[in-house]
Amino acid sequence: MADVTVFCFLASYLVTGVMEVLRLRGKSTINRVVLKGFAFAGIVAHTFYLFNRSQQTNLPPLLSSTHDWLLVLAWLAMVLYLFLTLFDSDLAIGLFLIPIVLVLIGSAYLLQQQPNQLVVSDEILVKEARQGWAMLHASLLVLGMAGGLVALVLGMMYLAQHRRLRQKQTMAEGMTLPSLGRIARLNWWSVVISVPLLTLGMAVGVGLGLSTDGETSLSFTDPVIIAYGVAWLVMIGFFIWLLTTRRSQDRQIASLSIWTFSFLIVSVVVLQIISSKLSISAHGPAQAAIPVESSVEEATP
Amino acid sequence: MNLQVVFCNYHTAPVAVREKLAFSSPDHLQEAYQELQQTFPESELVVLSTCNRVEVYAAHEGDRHPSHEQLAHFFSEFHNIPVSDFFDDLLAEEGEDAVRHLFRVASSVDSMVLGESQIVNQVKDAYRIAQENNACGILTNTLFQRAIKVSGRVRTETKLSEGRVSVASVAVGDFAKGIFERFDDKTVLVIGAGEMAEETLRYLKEEGARKIIVVNRSTERAEMLAMSWGGEVYPWDQLDECLKRADIVVSTTGATQPILTEDRFRTIRRATGDKQVFLLDLGAPRDISTAVGDIDDNIFLYNIDDLEATCDLNRKQRSREVQKANAIIEEETSLFMQELHHRATGPVVQRLRSQWHEIREEELRRLFNKLSHLTEEDREQIENSVGRVINKLLHPPLETLREESHSGTPEGLVTALKKLFHIHD
Repeated sequence: MADVTVFCFLASYLVTGVMEVLRLRGKSTINRVVLKGFAFAGIVAHTFYLFNRSQQTNLPPLLSSTHDWLLVLAWLAMVLYLFLTLFDSDLAIGLFLIPIVLVLIGSAYLLQQQPNQLVVSDEILVKEARQGWAMLHASLLVLGMAGGLVALVLGMMYLAQHRRLRQKQTMAEGMTLPSLGRIARLNWWSVVISVPLLTLGMAVGVGLGLSTDGETSLSFTDPVIIAYGVAWLVMIGFFIWLLTTRRSQDRQIASLSIWTFSFLIVSVVVLQIISSKLSISAHGPAQAAIPVESSVEEATP
Repeated sequence: MNLQVVFCNYHTAPVAVREKLAFSSPDHLQEAYQELQQTFPESELVVLSTCNRVEVYAAHEGDRHPSHEQLAHFFSEFHNIPVSDFFDDLLAEEGEDAVRHLFRVASSVDSMVLGESQIVNQVKDAYRIAQENNACGILTNTLFQRAIKVSGRVRTETKLSEGRVSVASVAVGDFAKGIFERFDDKTVLVIGAGEMAEETLRYLKEEGARKIIVVNRSTERAEMLAMSWGGEVYPWDQLDECLKRADIVVSTTGATQPILTEDRFRTIRRATGDKQVFLLDLGAPRDISTAVGDIDDNIFLYNIDDLEATCDLNRKQRSREVQKANAIIEEETSLFMQELHHRATGPVVQRLRSQWHEIREEELRRLFNKLSHLTEEDREQIENSVGRVINKLLHPPLETLREESHSGTPEGLVTALKKLFHIHD
């Protein structure tokens, strides 16, 4: 299991995704068995990969690098997918969730895999408490992002179900979507839970950045930090609108969930890829560590 | 051993005839069993009476069994109608065909609504009532228990029962349930009091709907419907107020013009906001103008044509499964008949076995008396060895009997065995 690579579980999830698409052609027991088998095998390989990475860097996957952080997010999404599929094998969640998982893993592949300089350097990581705060920051962000991911998937499911009902189409055999009422309720809760988690996570990150000295201190003029700030403002705007709007506007909530969390996920991934490339070009591949200006935000989005 | 079914169903007889021949109440059925048992005391009998079929299954040891004419006369006397009124509509099947017929009926292959699940419960009820009236025997017990198993096999191994095929069930199951998470907090408004409204209400009640409002031009019919389903009746002139309260609207009036126009519903939406509303137009001609569905995204309007499209699709899917169901029924019929024929050889086989084992016991006793020095272990070895010899000698004739049972009771072989080995009845 020491030889497990990203490709191993990416391929398993890809097969799972293909089997999900094939479900549209009709109900098949073989399809369901293969689908669950590959999802399970992928999760096992994924777990071993994260474990191996953690052993190599001597750090939890959430802290070691953005590459690992994104893989933890994808792992959470796949565990949720497998759990729901085992619970209700007709539920058509894979069609929406698996493409996002594949994008996350693909993005992680593009990011640098070197451990974050901030948390491995003896000079910078002075106290254990600092690592604890960094862990809290990363955990809150990954849970918040997972909530956002769920909101995004629910938003897509809502629109698909709404479109089916408006166009008076019957559901494909062996594929079910929850009622609009249920999707809307779950969507509302996932946004209401994820936004505070993300805000708290970002606040802890800012606090960590401000508490560091010299070169490692947080710079509010850093374009990456500004971009994160904009993403956060968009998210907060949506959150306030959600809490003040009437519940009958479920369709708008679903659409805005898709836009907001897509924007957030794309921002995080793109900014990390750009900053990773910039870091490599500035320091060379051998020393490609996270720029200290971005503080822990770089280690975890 | 003989088996027969005399029947009329929706294929063979018009509803007027079926109504006359049906056993409409449990008491009526009990009387029928009493009379049947008096007339045919040696027969096993099961009566299956539903709105789509009336069938009498009769089984008898030996060759004698109630004839088609005799059972027709029973119907005639019991219902007090001339035989000539229905004889041509009353069909009969015997032996393997009768078994196949029951398996088809229980599996819902022969039902008006292909794959419907109600028929197997009706078969179970018919069998239970026959047992309560002491009208069943070995053959009918085996037959009906097997029919219920075959029905289960068809349901699990084919998609014959999948997909809804009635307008009301599609409306509620495929569409209303796709909109609402729960129904117990929804208000259902029924406009008109037709049969379709009643059927839709049944499905909505099954989903938990509690608040039901009925609005109809005829208050009498509205009250009857409301009483049956625990609803309230409102006068026709309060329709707009009721529409404002409703989350689900089922309209089945006989109006020649739409009663719910775009302008009228726009006014209502201004008062209610854009809450999700499910409008089910079961009227022909339509009760709700199609433009109502375009007022906003939270209006889900369905009419009969929209729902019939789904019903047709599901019906076609079910039809494609009939071939698979028939293959299962053929396999099970053949297996059942084989077992039935083999069962007929049972007494001869049993007597042959016991006769040979008696000889074995007697010879062993004689041998052990002569060889008193044998240890317990030696005796056991000899007993086992002789037992194996007997079983090996019996195996070929019994296997041949079993194989011959595939194509009917092997009367010739049974007679030969009886003669060869002096087996007496």
